[in-house]
Amino acid sequence: MKKIGRFFCATGFLVSLLALFTCKAVGQSSVSVEASVSETTIYTGERVNLSVKISGDFNNVSRPELPDFKGLRLLSNTPSTSRSYSFVNGQSSTSYTYTYSLIAQDKGSYTIPPVNITIDGDDHKTEPINIKVIDRNESANSSGSQKPDIFLRLEVSDKKPVTGQQIISNVVLYFKDGLEVNSYQPVPGWKAEGFWKEELDNADRPQASSTIIDGVRYRRARLLQFSLFPTKQGKLEISPYKSIVAVRSARSSNDPFSTFFGGMGNNQRQVQLETDPVTVNVQPLPANHNGEYLGAVGDYHISREVSPQNATVGESIQIKTTVHGVGNVSLVTKPDYKMPNGLEVYEPQESSDLNRKNHRISGTKTFTDVVIARSPGNYSIPGKKVSYFDPSKHKYITTTLPPLHFDVKANPNATTAASTSSSFPVQPITGLATWVTPTSTNLLSHWWLWAGIMFPLILLGIAYWQKTYSEKMSTDQAFARSQKASAKAHERLNKAVELSEQGNIKQAYNMLQKALTGFISDRLTMPEAGLSNQEYVAALEEHDIEKNLVKNVRMLLDKCASISYAPETSHAYLKSHVGLAESTLEKLKKVI
Amino acid sequence: MAISFFKKTALLILILCCSIGSGYAQSPQATFDSANDKLKAGQYQQAIALYKNLESQNTVSGALFLNLGICYQRIDSLGRAKYYFLKASRFEETQDQAKQALNFVEGQFSRQSAVLPKLPWDIATDWLRNNIGATNLLLIGIILLNLGILVFIIRWFVSWYPNYLKYGGYAITGLAIIVMCGSLYTRYVSTRYSTAVMVKKKIPVVEKPQKNSSLVSQAFEGYTFTVDNYKSKSHPGWAYVRMSNGLYGWIPNDEIMIL
Repeated sequence: MKKIGRFFCATGFLVSLLALFTCKAVGQSSVSVEASVSETTIYTGERVNLSVKISGDFNNVSRPELPDFKGLRLLSNTPSTSRSYSFVNGQSSTSYTYTYSLIAQDKGSYTIPPVNITIDGDDHKTEPINIKVIDRNESANSSGSQKPDIFLRLEVSDKKPVTGQQIISNVVLYFKDGLEVNSYQPVPGWKAEGFWKEELDNADRPQASSTIIDGVRYRRARLLQFSLFPTKQGKLEISPYKSIVAVRSARSSNDPFSTFFGGMGNNQRQVQLETDPVTVNVQPLPANHNGEYLGAVGDYHISREVSPQNATVGESIQIKTTVHGVGNVSLVTKPDYKMPNGLEVYEPQESSDLNRKNHRISGTKTFTDVVIARSPGNYSIPGKKVSYFDPSKHKYITTTLPPLHFDVKANPNATTAASTSSSFPVQPITGLATWVTPTSTNLLSHWWLWAGIMFPLILLGIAYWQKTYSEKMSTDQAFARSQKASAKAHERLNKAVELSEQGNIKQAYNMLQKALTGFISDRLTMPEAGLSNQEYVAALEEHDIEKNLVKNVRMLLDKCASISYAPETSHAYLKSHVGLAESTLEKLKKVI
Repeated sequence: MAISFFKKTALLILILCCSIGSGYAQSPQATFDSANDKLKAGQYQQAIALYKNLESQNTVSGALFLNLGICYQRIDSLGRAKYYFLKASRFEETQDQAKQALNFVEGQFSRQSAVLPKLPWDIATDWLRNNIGATNLLLIGIILLNLGILVFIIRWFVSWYPNYLKYGGYAITGLAIIVMCGSLYTRYVSTRYSTAVMVKKKIPVVEKPQKNSSLVSQAFEGYTFTVDNYKSKSHPGWAYVRMSNGLYGWIPNDEIMIL
């Protein structure tokens, strides 16, 4: 057992050591290859140097494989080489430079294609370089501009970016031959309103190259480089960049690089230079219809992971979302995840790691959601579609983040939950429950509401009518007589029949007459007594009563008046007259 | 032997069919009992799923909401626990237990909101809504209206105490109209305003229904809001709320649970 233990220890140590060296080797294997030219604008027949610089930590490097040049001719296949070695902060770095001489043949704009080079068995490639060849004679005729001997210019990579797009802004110094620039000092306070500004790695000493502007040869040196990210759309102005430059007049030299940052001289003076303001027209981002837009513009890789995937109740679980790439890394926002129930979600953490090398901002932004499960179970965070805008393709790129699953087991040592539940004052109800189905009814849809409102109103109406009628009956005598006339007449007719049955025929006819005249006088508001039969008939005629009715009334009244002189009259005879009187009164009731 | 085998098989199929059928048509009480077993066994997620199934079928009880609140309390989702205890407090049989549970849960929240006292009118409306109900109020109003008009009519035909009958009729009818208006107002308030509980840890309450709008206040889990349903209708996904400290603002709908 002891021997085996020692063996494993020794093996573990060796493996660890090997891993350490491997890691170190991997960590130091960063190599950069860069091509540059001494001048980007030259006259026909003029020489230009093409340099290929390999920097970093490497062992074997092949000679560059030169491409075919258009408009330029290679003077010699054998390059001049230079090598430098540095050891800074325990980090060693080697720089190897091959320099070739080319001669411009024809006027025009050309591109020096990428140069291939093999370093430690890996193929590397430089970026293509644009170069412009000008005809010396034509240039001499067209030159007439009044540009100063030394000036600053702000050069931006794109004047029509979209919101959030990275644009590279170079502060470039132009100066004529015969001037020596010894140093420069930026004036603080430069603002780029409407932009998120990041300074790029400006550690390298500025290199001067030759160029021709309006037929005049200038030397060009990039002093500083910034990344700008427009934060809003529309026309945005980048304010002038100011710098104090120490310059002196000097003799011309054959080596174009020797005069930049040359030694101090007698004619030295300090001048403050400033660039012209630059206007950038920022375009809006197109509408995004797929996935949650994270505010990222550039080229990105987005991923997420959960750890640990097996946890216990109360243990913290991290959901880490990583956005890695080139672009506005600092402005990327966290995707919103739908967390399952039962998780205690804490304030998310975020961190950015920016890389300012290679003339651009790249890096990683990490968002960490911290959750704690309060009960055991299998938890799932659903998949999520997220998108970023790629300005080179001018479209949104959507990435689907897969669903995350993690398993949470009960913590056997936990006592918090138990104590919490024990102090909780209520126990679950486990018996029979009363079940209801909640319904929502409109208050105005109840039938009893309308019945309850209508019934008292109808009752009120009827009662009011009855009240008015009673009052009129008691106060208006004519109305009361008129209302009672019919009943009184019927009463008298019945009395007449009774008298007839008792054998008092004459009294019965007298009662019949009273019934008729009483009805007419009550209805027409005439005096109750003292009028002749003719006056009653005349009153009826005045009221345009139907002739037959008037005739019947007249006939009945005449019969009643003449009955005293008539021979014996039977009960049946009277009854027929009473019947006629009843029908006549019914008809009269309708018309008077 | 063969017949016996077929008989057994047929019987088994019958039992299986019956059990499947009964499974599909499980009564609310059976589902509730099953959920209670899960709750007792500490399987809170499964218990919640079963309780919620009942809730989604629109078959509810005070016990259901109380147990659901207890489940959420056990998994430390206190905002949701408060929401269900508030629901349980509206049932007579669970009112007392729900109030005890609410008192306990309120004490567990890390942040407590300042509470602006309610206006007397709002207190009265709440009391009427919770204790009598708009429908019962309307019924009382209708009965009073009939009684008032009857007393008023009697005065026309009966000569006893005419002044008492006259003013009694006026008073009862007036009271009836007030009660009926109170009933309609109570229903209007119930329809327009709802109570909501914040169920997320923290969310900003903003001035306008837009995510980047200016901040009114921060709301934390367990805060209670009054939601204006009419105003919220115009902006789907957002709710216009009055916080208990008297501030007004907009909040995303999925951050709160409306009672």
